[in-house]
Amino acid sequence: MKFFTYTIFPFLIFAFSACIEIIDDITINDDGSGTFKYTVNLSSSKVKINSILALDSLDGKKVPSLSEIQEKLHELSNSLRTKEGISNVDFHADYDNFIFKIKCDFTSLSLLQNAVEELAIKENKGVAIPELKKEWLTFENDSLVRSVPKITLIKAKKINKRDAELLKEGSYTSITRFQKVVDTFSNNSAKLSKNRKAVMVRTNPYLLIQNPQLVDNVIYLEEE
Amino acid sequence: MRLFTTIMLLFVSFLSYSQQPEDFIPNSAISVFTINSGQVLQKISLDDLVKYDFMEDVQQELFDGSTSGKTLKESGINFDQKFNIFFGKGEKYEISGFTFGISSEDQLFEVFDDFEQQKSDYEGTEWYNSYFNHLIIKDKVGIMIRVSANYRIVRDFADSIWVTRGNKSSYYNDWYYNEGFDYIEEEVVEFTEEMEVETEENTSSPAQNEELPVAEEDPSQKTYFELRDSVEMVFNSVFLKEVLDDLLIAKNNRKKTTPILAKQLMREADGVFYFDNSKYNRHGSYSYRRPFYTNIYAFVDELYEENTIVGDIQINDGSIDLNVDANYNNKLGAIYEELSDAKFDKNVLKYIHKDNQGFFTYNIDVKKAYEKTVEIVMPILEETEGHKAMEWLILMDLFDEFANKDAIFKTYKGSMFGTFNGIKKVKTTKITYDYDEENFESTRKEVESEEDMPIFTFGFSTKNNAFSEKILKRIERLSRKEIYAKNGIWVVERGAMNSSDLYYILKNDLFIITNDEDLAMNHSEGYGKESLGKTLSKKAKKSKFLYGYSDLGKAIEELPRDLFSSRDNEILDAIKGKSGQVELSSTGIDTDKASFKMSYTFDGENEDVATYVLDLINSLYVNSK
Repeated sequence: MKFFTYTIFPFLIFAFSACIEIIDDITINDDGSGTFKYTVNLSSSKVKINSILALDSLDGKKVPSLSEIQEKLHELSNSLRTKEGISNVDFHADYDNFIFKIKCDFTSLSLLQNAVEELAIKENKGVAIPELKKEWLTFENDSLVRSVPKITLIKAKKINKRDAELLKEGSYTSITRFQKVVDTFSNNSAKLSKNRKAVMVRTNPYLLIQNPQLVDNVIYLEEE
Repeated sequence: MRLFTTIMLLFVSFLSYSQQPEDFIPNSAISVFTINSGQVLQKISLDDLVKYDFMEDVQQELFDGSTSGKTLKESGINFDQKFNIFFGKGEKYEISGFTFGISSEDQLFEVFDDFEQQKSDYEGTEWYNSYFNHLIIKDKVGIMIRVSANYRIVRDFADSIWVTRGNKSSYYNDWYYNEGFDYIEEEVVEFTEEMEVETEENTSSPAQNEELPVAEEDPSQKTYFELRDSVEMVFNSVFLKEVLDDLLIAKNNRKKTTPILAKQLMREADGVFYFDNSKYNRHGSYSYRRPFYTNIYAFVDELYEENTIVGDIQINDGSIDLNVDANYNNKLGAIYEELSDAKFDKNVLKYIHKDNQGFFTYNIDVKKAYEKTVEIVMPILEETEGHKAMEWLILMDLFDEFANKDAIFKTYKGSMFGTFNGIKKVKTTKITYDYDEENFESTRKEVESEEDMPIFTFGFSTKNNAFSEKILKRIERLSRKEIYAKNGIWVVERGAMNSSDLYYILKNDLFIITNDEDLAMNHSEGYGKESLGKTLSKKAKKSKFLYGYSDLGKAIEELPRDLFSSRDNEILDAIKGKSGQVELSSTGIDTDKASFKMSYTFDGENEDVATYVLDLINSLYVNSK
């Protein structure tokens, strides 16, 4: 779900490309439904963010006010509430520490992806994003295949060298949880929890934009 | 001998009548930047040059692979002549471009290899086109020009055609006809035969933040975008013709019509610039409001009439100097003269540390300026018709009658200062998440952290500290933040960027705000012997109105780089490691002009002089747009 990084929080990433922590946590039930949680933690860069928010513009671009950011994020979460197959949307923002969390339940991965795509298109002034047409999360026959949409590669090229350096200090954590026990998985950097029901991949945002395949994984569940 | 004299005379008369690049600056240019010195341009690579906004705007499509590794010296440009960059914004169109002497057309077209020749409508000229750019060559002078029709005209015209064809327009919103406007006067552009809409698709992309009408399904019909692009192209060519007819047939140019520019161009400086602030006010960013507030804008125009800014850049051994004169009429001049007639508040010098990395002092008398403004503005407003003018008059009357002006101007007199004392690590907290190995459930944890904090001090003169203190006490009771007095200093906990404490110092007839704990807790009466040295103090006092100083050697290392643009950071990187000082001072203010001087002095040789000069020009160019 790194896609969120580049659509829902583009401003936070590119303008506040400081020490950022991103946690993408997805729970998949046996029937393909589940819960998606996404957290962006910028608490290590509070001073920097407050400094930037005090400016009118940065690098020729208008810096939104805190209230504009609040409004935008609430608008996005409200928009997500209206999407088919999405329920229990919970958005929480801590503006003292700059931590943003969104959580929702979904009835199927395909509806979750549709919802994200629709939000992204809306944010893209109504213009379709062909890269999002391809499914990047599928769950079939007790195996989950996850990848990163190509759009992230395109966006990654736009990050300048200096910002990219700053992203090295951040962290990206991707957790996939299941009701069943995990049998095997393809990503060598991934780690299995002791209860064998969760798989975690940790990297930093810089490495991820250099190599979006870092969090790609095919996870096979044990047959009961 | 007679023959020789005749030949010499003929030669001299030829020289004196041959037109120079500066004679081809279009009359609609608002800002002009002229580089006289080959020293500045010859060392610059074309690839670096095109990164500047003043070049990028004109010919971003031109410099592709053809510029790689080349300098301007190899581009066929004649460095014995002036290189003039111009920009203009009017009611109907924007122009941008540059004029230059040509030493070799062959070399020139090796660089400008995308240009294709077409038949010229102007006698004695060659005409070349590349996308939206036009290169006209006349008598070894190149005029690179782009004319872009204003978006509103294009949109309104395209809309009109679109609606006439039976389509629905989504544009005209109610705000357009809101109350409070004096009246609406839309510009009418005649649609002539030569403006027949073409089918060319190669135009700039539409503005993004708007909902546009849905395109037609029928492929034989133009979509809205295609129609608007066609309209734009037609208008661009019509306005280009208007500019060039004036320049090449009527022989008008900015130098000819503006004596102050002609005089400036005569100066023996490495670069000169001219900026018509009165025209900028007319056609600047908020000009779209003009039709609604015509009377008020007429008043503003009157106040800003003859307001021009001229300057020159001198490259000396060990320094680059920029001299600027802001010229204005006697109405604005009278206000500025009163504004700057303020006694320097010596107390501010106590609070500037001798090792500061940069500081400024700004000294004005707001009370005198207010009184003079009322004296000048009221009669103009009295004669101005319209709602807005009346609203202003009523507000000014009410303020004048009922407000305690003495108390207001006693609290804020107008003089202020600011310092930057580098970056300090401040203790802060951050949130981290720990993961349980059993199931990767996370636990939130608050841990101590450190961040870089710019240390600044800002203060202004006041004769009413008691009042300020009273207000702070009230705020203390109201605010959700911790505000308390400690040793006579007001502390706002985590008041600076939600991280470090902020201090209010009310001493020595100054109201000071700082996040410098050392200043607040140990030097609230001033730095004493550690305060600003005599030389700089003397300069600040002498400059009176405005003085700024920065020790680049110290400041560059510690400037909060994240708060600067990428381009600024490139410049800072170039300066990094070199010692130098930047100094800005006002050298005189009277009824017809205000003069300022900015100097960048550096030790020894500085190979980046050309970069600095071009960056300076670029900053002026960007600010003049």
